[in-house]
Formats: sequence, C-alpha cells, structure tokens
Amino acid sequence: MFVTRLQVANGQFRRLLAACLHLARAFRDWYLRPNAIEQRGLDLLKEWLSQEQLAQYDAHKYFDVIGCHTGRRYRIHHGNGANVVALSDAALPRTGWCFVPNDHLVAGDVMLAQKIALETDERGALAAANNFMPR
Amino acid sequence: MATQIIMDHNGDTRHTFDAKDAKALLEAERRFKALTGAGFTAATRTASGEPAVTRRFDPTAEETLFFPRLVGG
Repeated sequence: MFVTRLQVANGQFRRLLAACLHLARAFRDWYLRPNAIEQRGLDLLKEWLSQEQLAQYDAHKYFDVIGCHTGRRYRIHHGNGANVVALSDAALPRTGWCFVPNDHLVAGDVMLAQKIALETDERGALAAANNFMPR
Repeated sequence: MATQIIMDHNGDTRHTFDAKDAKALLEAERRFKALTGAGFTAATRTASGEPAVTRRFDPTAEETLFFPRLVGG
C-alpha cells in the first residue's frame, strides 16, 4: 500500500518536474531572443568591417574609420548612440558626434550605418549629427 | 544568387533572388526603389571590400545593404 502510494507520488513528481523544465526552457528562449537579434546585428557588422577594423573591434570593442571628405579619423565605439568620436592627430578624443538611424536598431546595425556614412558621405553624416564633448 | 539586406528590428531581413530571373530582378528593383524612396540608403561593397553608396538599382550587385535615414541623436 505504502509502496504503491510512493510510486504514484514519484510519477506525479516526475510529471511536475517535466512541466517545470518545459516552462524553464520556454522562458530561456524568450529571454535569449533579444541577444540573438543583437548577435545578428554584430555578425552583419563584422561582415562589412575591413580586416584592421575587425581586429580592432574584437580587441577593444571599437574601430576607427576615415572620413571620406576630410581624411579625419573617427572612432566608433560599441553602442547605439553618442558613440562616435572624432580623434585628434594624437589620437585623442576631440569631438563627439551623435547620429543614428531613425529606426530603433541593434548596436551592430547602428555602428555599421555610422561606418558607411562616414566612409561614403562624411559631410552628410555630420550635417545630420549633434555634437558633444567627449569624456 | 544576389541578396538585398534590410536593417530592421530583427537585426536584418534578407531577400535572395536569382539575378538571371527577369521577374525576380523586377521585384528586386521595385524593392530598391521603394526603400530608397522611403529614405533608406543603399550600399554595396567594392571589389576591395570598401562600402559604396548607390542611388540606382544595380542588377549585377551581389549584395546590397539598406539602412534607415540617419538623424541626430
């Protein structure tokens, strides 16, 4: 009698545990979903970076681009806003520039749009941008 | 196969098409015009890998990337 009840309880416990595991997996998938989108953006960015920029980004989470009109060097830090800094000849932060796509995008996409804009239409990008004093 | 990559909330959406298929090419051109008309910038990569902005649909482009208009943040 006692053994039978114990076996029934054991079966119920296993079913409850399986249901909890199922819920936990569903929660994990939901929780990780934004990260998968972030990763997708970073993968796209890395496809478009030059070898030097990719090495720099992997090492420091920023990469440098050369403005197509002035030849000025800009540093694009990982982020999706207020993350572009014009560098002085001594590679010191001089002016911060904030320009972003007018749609909410992940950091990889934002950085790629900023890179292309500075490398192909520097003046246009800066005309749209707001500047700030870098820290 | 050619690809049009559009940046969006999901990271990006990709449309792959056969550039030798006239119907698919027409659809790709229609998409190009719709996106650039809506303010997206279209970019391709040169043979050396450098980005180049394009304002006309290029049927020979293997990959075209579209990103939304840039604004001051």
